[in-house]
Amino acid sequence: MRAILNRLYEVSGLIAAAFLVAICAVVVAQVALNAIDRVAGLLTGSAIGLVIPSYSTFAGLFLAAASFFALPYAFRHGAHIRVSLVLQHIPAGARRGCDILGAAIVTLFSAYFTWYMGVLALESHAFGDVTSGMVPVALWIPQGAMTLGLGVLTIACLDDLVVLLLGGEAAFNAEGQQLLAGRDEGASGSAAGAMGRSTDGGGPMDGDGR
Amino acid sequence: ESWDMPTPYPDATFHTQNIMQFAEDVKEATDGALEITVHSAGSLFKHPEIKNAVRSRQVPIGEFFLSLLTNENAAFGIDSQPFLATTYEQAEALWRAQAPVVTELLAEQDLMPLYAVAWPPQGLYTKEPVETVEDLKGIKFRSYNAALEKFAQLAGMAPTQVEVPDIPQAFATGRVEAMITSPSTGANSKAWDFVEHYYDIKAWVPKNIVVVNRKAFRALDESVQTAVLNAAKAAESRGWQMSQEETQAKTDMLSENGMEVHQPSEALMQGLKQIGEEMIADWKAEAGPAGERILEAYQAD
Amino acid sequence: MTEILLSAGVVALLFALLAMGVWVAFALFLVGALSLLVFSNAPLGTVLATSTWGASNSWALAALPLFIWMGEILFRSKLSDNLFSGLAPWLTRLPGRLLHVNVFACAVFAAVSGSSAATAATVGKISIPELTKRGYSERMMIGTLAGSATLGLLIPPSIILIVYGVATEQSIARLFVAGVLPGVLLVLLFSGFIVAWALVNRARVPSQEDRTSLAERLRAGRELLPVMLLILGVIGSVYLGIASPTDAAAVGVVIALILAWRSGDLSWTSFRDGLMGAVRTSCMITFILAGAAFLTTAMGFAGIPRMLAAWIGDMGLSANELLVALTIFFVVMGCFLDGISIIVLTTSIIMPIVEQAGIDPIWFGIYLVFVVEMSQITPPVGFNLFVLQSLTGRNILQVAWAALPFFLLMGGAIVILTAVPDLALYLPSLMGR
Ligand code: NA
Ligand code: NA
Repeated sequence: MRAILNRLYEVSGLIAAAFLVAICAVVVAQVALNAIDRVAGLLTGSAIGLVIPSYSTFAGLFLAAASFFALPYAFRHGAHIRVSLVLQHIPAGARRGCDILGAAIVTLFSAYFTWYMGVLALESHAFGDVTSGMVPVALWIPQGAMTLGLGVLTIACLDDLVVLLLGGEAAFNAEGQQLLAGRDEGASGSAAGAMGRSTDGGGPMDGDGR
Repeated sequence: ESWDMPTPYPDATFHTQNIMQFAEDVKEATDGALEITVHSAGSLFKHPEIKNAVRSRQVPIGEFFLSLLTNENAAFGIDSQPFLATTYEQAEALWRAQAPVVTELLAEQDLMPLYAVAWPPQGLYTKEPVETVEDLKGIKFRSYNAALEKFAQLAGMAPTQVEVPDIPQAFATGRVEAMITSPSTGANSKAWDFVEHYYDIKAWVPKNIVVVNRKAFRALDESVQTAVLNAAKAAESRGWQMSQEETQAKTDMLSENGMEVHQPSEALMQGLKQIGEEMIADWKAEAGPAGERILEAYQAD
Repeated sequence: MTEILLSAGVVALLFALLAMGVWVAFALFLVGALSLLVFSNAPLGTVLATSTWGASNSWALAALPLFIWMGEILFRSKLSDNLFSGLAPWLTRLPGRLLHVNVFACAVFAAVSGSSAATAATVGKISIPELTKRGYSERMMIGTLAGSATLGLLIPPSIILIVYGVATEQSIARLFVAGVLPGVLLVLLFSGFIVAWALVNRARVPSQEDRTSLAERLRAGRELLPVMLLILGVIGSVYLGIASPTDAAAVGVVIALILAWRSGDLSWTSFRDGLMGAVRTSCMITFILAGAAFLTTAMGFAGIPRMLAAWIGDMGLSANELLVALTIFFVVMGCFLDGISIIVLTTSIIMPIVEQAGIDPIWFGIYLVFVVEMSQITPPVGFNLFVLQSLTGRNILQVAWAALPFFLLMGGAIVILTAVPDLALYLPSLMGR
């Protein structure tokens, strides 16, 4: 079960990464076409007009998909920031209580969010909503992607809530980035040293630790 | 009762000012029984979301650019077809033909049009002077929908995609060399900072539309409903009047600020109209029954 | 009065949620949800979905993850190390030495990025490990970054000036030009502060590296070449007219990848790590932005910012009094709302008051950028603070404390800008024909 769930979050993160690469690819392709056009303009005196239709719309839609597929993955890696000031200064028991309450609140909210994002996607599908601009894209597709991302986020929140209730340690307490870590270990010779300790134990993809 | 009304354009735009007056009229006529709070400049919902927000009753009323819905049904976008209706008279006739069809189509989404107001006729902004269609060949032309892309290609121009906030910089760096937009948009974005020539080609006369959710409307008292409809009627005629005054004022503003405002040459207009005819023939073939009905009604008018 | 009590309740809820350790983005969503339930009868779930959808599929925002990715690539290559070792010999005489790199790197990066979050994330990712390694004061390092990253909003291109220009129908080109001199003013103020601080706290600046000859400096300067190529490539693509400012972010990623590959630092592992790091950081920021957008919509329905702005308008103040009142208003609102949201929610009310008081709208746009910049570094809701918290793992209050001097410097800059309005107005006046 644990392995399946971890795999789910990881795949979600990989899909997000693919969309981020897609944003870069579509924009770079358009810039390359602009460059060709520029050269052609200089040589022949008139531009060709090489366009990737609605490339900016596509980049925006890819961004929505990337952001939401990344949610559970980032959550599990402790990338979403919180104010830990109070938590640091209260007894461990109370801290645990806050973690449980917090996890319960975000689990409920994520579930609610997922439901209504799904409703929006279904409504867009029912009415045949499409983007404006050169290429009509059915809105339910990106909205459906956002719903999926939120759904997996709900699972990730619930996962941590259950773990906490069973007395375990939540994955969201992973430390995220620690660029100052080199300070605690004494000045080290390379940038890699400054990156310090591994961020969490979340499988083969845990970013900053190598 | 109090209604929130999202609108896409800023306060200074005459459409928004007309809506403020409309809200004022409704309040007065209903003795405050219905108060409309206008949220301008996309501050409540962004432009693409406004129609759907009214549909799902997040807000009871809203305004948007009608031909934004072209991709849903070509009938919504007939007012943005180049050189079909170019004067205010023709635009009014086109709206008379279009209104019943738009009303039917929007009813499927639980929406009811209250009124529509035209933007000033669209003019051509260029870096270099243009005497004939021949002069347009090979220059980079801002295209933001399929119709404009086709228009660019038929005129031998190179279509290019530039987002609205990037327009000044795109002209400055040569990423774009010509665009079609209204004198209002040109004056409001201080087009004289980045482009030299304006040709009053009256390419098309697009409209903003104000729609209300049918259920929200029916929930009003009958007397209030009547007051809203009366205020809408007044807003429509006032808006078209404002639009004509705006055309004059903003075109003057372009020339006062050093742009060369030209009446287009016969040859240029002839070439452009030919392209328009070609496009409308294609459009008719693809527009579907709703679009065809509008075109027939308009041509019979 | 009930409204004021209820607004206080909303603020209290935000504090409670944050103190409990609820994630910042979720806290914004939850406070927005509660405001919507209490102050309006709009359907919560559908508004939540629609507002989030509208805020998330955004072309303008697409540059953010790309710039962050570029920073991740540089961070994993020798380029970031080269940048600092190349500059070090040149800065030996300037008190505060490499701390100035934060200011100048942010200023240069601001010329391609329109947002301060992207600026903080990209420059911070590179400079924090390098400065840490060299033993610089942590507080100054974080403070200079938090403060200088706000230059992303002032030096063109700028998301906030675009939002303001569109909402008030001012020329965006003029606003961009107007931002240049005030941007230089801020750079000078920040660098001046570093110099002053370094002179007072000699002991806390790492010991002097050996004096170097000009030849050695030039040799070291060669290490700067790749980074300069990157900057030239990104800015050049815009001014050659082949890329929009948003496109330039993707150009930056590609050039960074090529440079990392040329210097032998690009392996499959480093590529994957950089990409996944960018995914995590940009997800964190975009989700907070979505929460802020929803809170903005909820506040629009609730009408609280409108009400407060109208209240200021009714006080009948002179131009200078009005500016003082507005600055207090923006700083207080800026603690809880993101700066762009405040502008979006209040321009309708504020602009007529401002114009009536005879304040130039272009000047006011630059003034607004300054107050919005300040809101980026005030807790509990400040985007630069969030980014730096995420980068360093330090607490938000520690980060905010480090940023405090720069907050005050910006306050001083507003006073200067008010005393010398030509700082903002001279350059645009040259554009008129
Ligand atoms: Na910038
Ligand atoms: Na703040």
